[in-house]
Amino acid sequence: MTKIAVQIDDLTVAYNYKPVLWDIDLEIPEGVLMAIVGPNGAGKSTLIKSILGILKPIAGSVSIYNKPYEKQRQLVAYVPQKGSVDWDFPTTALDVVMMGTYGSLGWIKRPGQKQKKAALEALEKVGMLPFKNRQISQLSGGQQQRIFLARALVQNASIYFMDEPFQGVDATTEIAIINILKELRKAGKTVIVVHHDLQTVPEYFDWVTFLNVKKIATGPVKDIFNDDNLTKTYGINYKVSIQE
Amino acid sequence: MSSAQIEIQIIASLVAIACAIPGTFLVLRKMAMISDAISHSILPGIVVGFFITQDLNSPLLILLAALTGIITVVLVEYIQKTGLVKEDTAIGLVFPILFSIGVIMIAKNANDVHLDVDAVLLGELAFAPFDRLIVSGIDMGPKSLWIIGSILIITIGLLFAFFKELKISTFDAGLAASLGFSPSVIHYGLMSVSSITTVGAFDAVGAILVVALMIAPAATAYLLTNNLKRMLIYSISFGVFSAISGYWLAHGLDASIAGSITTMLGVLFLAVYLFAPSKGVIAVMYREKQQRTEVSLLTFLLHLKNHTEESERHVNHLNEHINWQKVRSKTVLDLALKNNMIQLDKNIVSLTEKGDHFTSQAIDYIITNEDGKIEHMKDDFFLFRG
Repeated sequence: MTKIAVQIDDLTVAYNYKPVLWDIDLEIPEGVLMAIVGPNGAGKSTLIKSILGILKPIAGSVSIYNKPYEKQRQLVAYVPQKGSVDWDFPTTALDVVMMGTYGSLGWIKRPGQKQKKAALEALEKVGMLPFKNRQISQLSGGQQQRIFLARALVQNASIYFMDEPFQGVDATTEIAIINILKELRKAGKTVIVVHHDLQTVPEYFDWVTFLNVKKIATGPVKDIFNDDNLTKTYGINYKVSIQE
Repeated sequence: MSSAQIEIQIIASLVAIACAIPGTFLVLRKMAMISDAISHSILPGIVVGFFITQDLNSPLLILLAALTGIITVVLVEYIQKTGLVKEDTAIGLVFPILFSIGVIMIAKNANDVHLDVDAVLLGELAFAPFDRLIVSGIDMGPKSLWIIGSILIITIGLLFAFFKELKISTFDAGLAASLGFSPSVIHYGLMSVSSITTVGAFDAVGAILVVALMIAPAATAYLLTNNLKRMLIYSISFGVFSAISGYWLAHGLDASIAGSITTMLGVLFLAVYLFAPSKGVIAVMYREKQQRTEVSLLTFLLHLKNHTEESERHVNHLNEHINWQKVRSKTVLDLALKNNMIQLDKNIVSLTEKGDHFTSQAIDYIITNEDGKIEHMKDDFFLFRG
């Protein structure tokens, strides 16, 4: 029996009393590469943010390996949407990646050589080492996404949450990113990705959750990624050719 | 220089430093207007504090007034959270009301209170050396020097302790939250420092100009660097420079010190805005012009590469073929010659080996969009600098 990495019980999240997520029960087994799919406004990002304690739910609970998130921060890495930060911020690629190490340092303590070395290794892994001193606004969209990925890698977590990592990146970067995600899975990590492109779900992921304010379905892609669930989620008669 | 003059310059410089530090983060957090709100709405706090303590330099008064600053921030956020008005509207609602309460309180008690609206708006830096701290009969220097000095030491201590936390929560609040650095703790910490600094600086430069000291140096520094630490250092330097040069400007013109300091801040910003090496208006215009020329150069080189027939490569035909005006053709031709990319033989233009190589590389880059390939070309060409 595989362990449960993330367990969500009866989670309800609301913005100004309007529920965005309604009574979500979800178990994410360890070691899956999972896509969360659903239409705009389905609460995909909200789900991730609630798991990570960035948003406070009005009901329900989340546990990471059977403990509340606050006790398990070290096990979790988060890649927010690229558009959520100001890329004109005066800092370099290396410095952004170093931010991934701040969690293990705790308050007040400064990053040192060890953290720098880890950041450089992560940059190397995503092929961004030549750009380490580049100001972040001088990077292309795909490169910025790689920097975010490197920042998550440097946390050396067990569970990775990514909010639309493929948004606005070119095909080369998309392949580079998915290869790294697959490597993470191979290393026994759990990777959870908010994803938009339904066509690539069977190719990239082995697990999928359909979400539209309520949970529609969750399970292995080969079992549940079908027209029935897509139609339930997107509300229109959806047809996707699933590659075997 | 008299000792009073030196003291005024020291106080002004310390105020500038104390303002520049929180100001840098306010600018990066796009919260410049909140400092305006704080600086005005601390007025009722100061008046109430003055009724209680009867001393403008009392630490209790500073804390009371700073509390009004925090209340302003809380009120603004509360109004904004209802979703009925936007943030800037919320700011515009809260601070004038609090400020006018303060104005009424001063007016009603004008006879008892040694505080008038002019001083509140513009400060009384020139009088700072007269109010001295006397400890068991010994003159320890102006009181405001001690106040702003203490605030500055606390600010610098906090900056060093929480630099990493300030940076991460400013850049990416979501990540900060997920890593356990509560963005709201840092936010209110920064707001508290800004409020206390504002109160401390208030007496010296007044409600309106303290905003300038927070925002202008940081905005100027932002144009000059891509490094947060350097941005802090630059903004502190600009603040101090404006404080001292502003003092002498006021001395020369026999005008308000606070007004002159702010004028210097404005002049400094304007100069940097125009002349900053990479983000300045002139640099941007120059770069755009260069890029235009370089695109033309590349188009021209490509044309040469694609056409072997001499008729296509005659100097006089280039104008017609690439459809440029004469001046532009000449600029491009000169640039190519200067870089040894073409050679002229009886007015027939052909690519040199270097030009041929460059063209292939540039085309390769444009097609593949892979940055690594043109890294070494960035020094020579704006076009590839992104």
